[in-house]
Amino acid sequence: MMLKYIGNRILQIAILLVIYVAIVFFLLHAMPGGIKTLLISNPKLTPQAQEAIIRAFGLDQPLWLQFVDYMKNVFTLNLGISFSYYPTPVWNIIAERLPRTVLLFTVATLIAFFVGFASGKSLAWNRGKTTEYVSTIVGIITYTIFTPLLIFVMIWFFGSFLGIFPLNQFLNPDLWIHTHLNAQVIFLYILLTMLIIGIVMLVSYLMALRFSHRIRTRRLIFYLSTIIAVVFSLFFWWISPVGIYAADILWHMVLPVMTVTIISYAGNMLVMRDSMLETIKEDFITTARAKGLPDKVVRDKHAARTAMLPVVTNFVLSLGFVVSGGVITESLFSWPGMGMTLLDSTLAKDYPLAAGALIFTGIFVLFAHLAIDIIYAFLDPRIRY
Amino acid sequence: MKAVLEVKNLKMYYDTQAGQVKAADNISFSLYEGESMGLVGESGCGKTSVSMSIMRLLPENARIISGNIFFGGKDIVKISNEDMNKVRWAGISMIFQAAMNSLNPVYRVGDQIIEAITTHEPNVTFEEARQRVASLYKLVGLDPERMDNYPHEYSGGMKQRAVIAMSLACNPKLIIADEPTTALDVIVQDTILRELEKIQKKLNMSMIYISHDIAVIAEVASKIAIMYAGKIVEMSDSITIFKRPAHPYTVGLMSSFPSIRGPKKELVTIPGEPPNLLNAPDHCRFAPRCPFATDECWKKEPSYEEIENNHFVACFHPQNLKKQVRNNVG
Repeated sequence: MMLKYIGNRILQIAILLVIYVAIVFFLLHAMPGGIKTLLISNPKLTPQAQEAIIRAFGLDQPLWLQFVDYMKNVFTLNLGISFSYYPTPVWNIIAERLPRTVLLFTVATLIAFFVGFASGKSLAWNRGKTTEYVSTIVGIITYTIFTPLLIFVMIWFFGSFLGIFPLNQFLNPDLWIHTHLNAQVIFLYILLTMLIIGIVMLVSYLMALRFSHRIRTRRLIFYLSTIIAVVFSLFFWWISPVGIYAADILWHMVLPVMTVTIISYAGNMLVMRDSMLETIKEDFITTARAKGLPDKVVRDKHAARTAMLPVVTNFVLSLGFVVSGGVITESLFSWPGMGMTLLDSTLAKDYPLAAGALIFTGIFVLFAHLAIDIIYAFLDPRIRY
Repeated sequence: MKAVLEVKNLKMYYDTQAGQVKAADNISFSLYEGESMGLVGESGCGKTSVSMSIMRLLPENARIISGNIFFGGKDIVKISNEDMNKVRWAGISMIFQAAMNSLNPVYRVGDQIIEAITTHEPNVTFEEARQRVASLYKLVGLDPERMDNYPHEYSGGMKQRAVIAMSLACNPKLIIADEPTTALDVIVQDTILRELEKIQKKLNMSMIYISHDIAVIAEVASKIAIMYAGKIVEMSDSITIFKRPAHPYTVGLMSSFPSIRGPKKELVTIPGEPPNLLNAPDHCRFAPRCPFATDECWKKEPSYEEIENNHFVACFHPQNLKKQVRNNVG
């Protein structure tokens, strides 16, 4: 049943992708200006050189021919060569930058989800207290604040005023100049470590579910194995000679992650608060209390578990903002990820790179939706595909 | 016989912005082992307030002003919430008004029953708890294989049975059934009530049925208390209540339900509606709707007295009724 559903969804995603890829092409070419004006405005290029470039990239051909070529290339997984980073293939640029964006936003979105979930839960549970009003107002402010303003305030406060976090960039060039290490390799190792910890958490959770029926034992298994995994990986990085470089990259990640978290936690918190307030009025909450369950069990196991379903929906919707928010956040933090690439390549009329960036963000969002749909089926037994 | 539950002069008021709402005023009754009692009255007369006071599951703006509720020798009005949690379900369990919604939609029904068992009896293993649930399922007429289903996979009647099975999970001394069958159709209603009665007799539990339907209650309860506007106005065993109702409100309640076997009669309704408990009058609360009200009824509240053996009424003119009832009902 589930497999059939996933198969169907992947088919849908494939169709959506074709449509999306086509739209991307026309959007890019509908931009005013075009590559020719850009080349003409460059005084270093002679008219002959300009002609040569235009012919080399096939930009002198009619649009529909370009479109056919483009579609053919995309679906043979050939994204072409970037204009602005000539002669680097688009693939390489994306392979370098996509993981950075995915890491930054996955970490921030997950933190925002859990912070929003936990605070929304306790706000609703402690209804009517001063903390509820204060947090709600703070939440609404951070939810509606103009993103660049928040980023500037964050950079000023933490980077300049307190001076504890780097202002921007992905790494500190002074540190890396004396080494032959490739930042990308180190970064991929960080990603791998996080993936391993994530898998350990998932496996221990499933094991705990299988082997024990007592919540306390389950929790013990889960937390213990998570802590062991984290401690082990920290130890591994500590003894390895490249640990300090990894720490440098992570250090540069703190401020952007914090900012994206602040921008997106409030939505989760407010939705969770509302949903929780609705849920605690339900009859099954009264039943849970009548059963003599401790307050915390009623709150976490019965109320929050059921109330989290709309928050998961909100989480899906917020994934869309990963793209748009990425452009602003990454540019202002000079974080060389997909958002910044998209902005730069669009401004430079670098069609292949812009198209590649858009296509990959599209694929990411579509698959994130699929993942959430699958998770939703596990969270809500009433949903069967 | 030992009293399982003893409610003494219970006063439970709601604090609202408009003032105090006297939802339960001077409620007293006691319930013996194996005895079943019906609490009958119109909507909003305070039946559920009484049951929620006994379970101590009141909303934040509700307060027990005075009175005692003795359960197993302890006054459960005064004990802490943690101690009360031990009494809940293990001592007093409940079957809720809306069984449809009293199961959590995201957990398996069996697990929700097991949860109640393992909370109160931590030494019971999961497997033992499962076996107990299976036998409870058989007792209430459900297929034990269905315990791994989710609530939305059950029909209304099955949910009701599952909720009954859940209420029996910890062998409580007392079960409060708050409108246990209101959401069901008449045929299922009857079956479930009869089964509930059978189980109650078999396990020798005490039971409080709460309903607005006096005819349904009379079949299963040995004792009936009639509530009106936050007060008990009449209480006796069900036969006495049916044969010799003394309070005009009881008479009204009985003639507003049809009898299947008796001759066809036009149903009599009680004119008017229950008073607003926010400004509870200091005269008899039923006087505005009472066909027998005299000047006395408008001046002060009648006291709650025993007019014959084990038959309590709060009315100035209980004697007036005998003849009247014979004309109306008998």
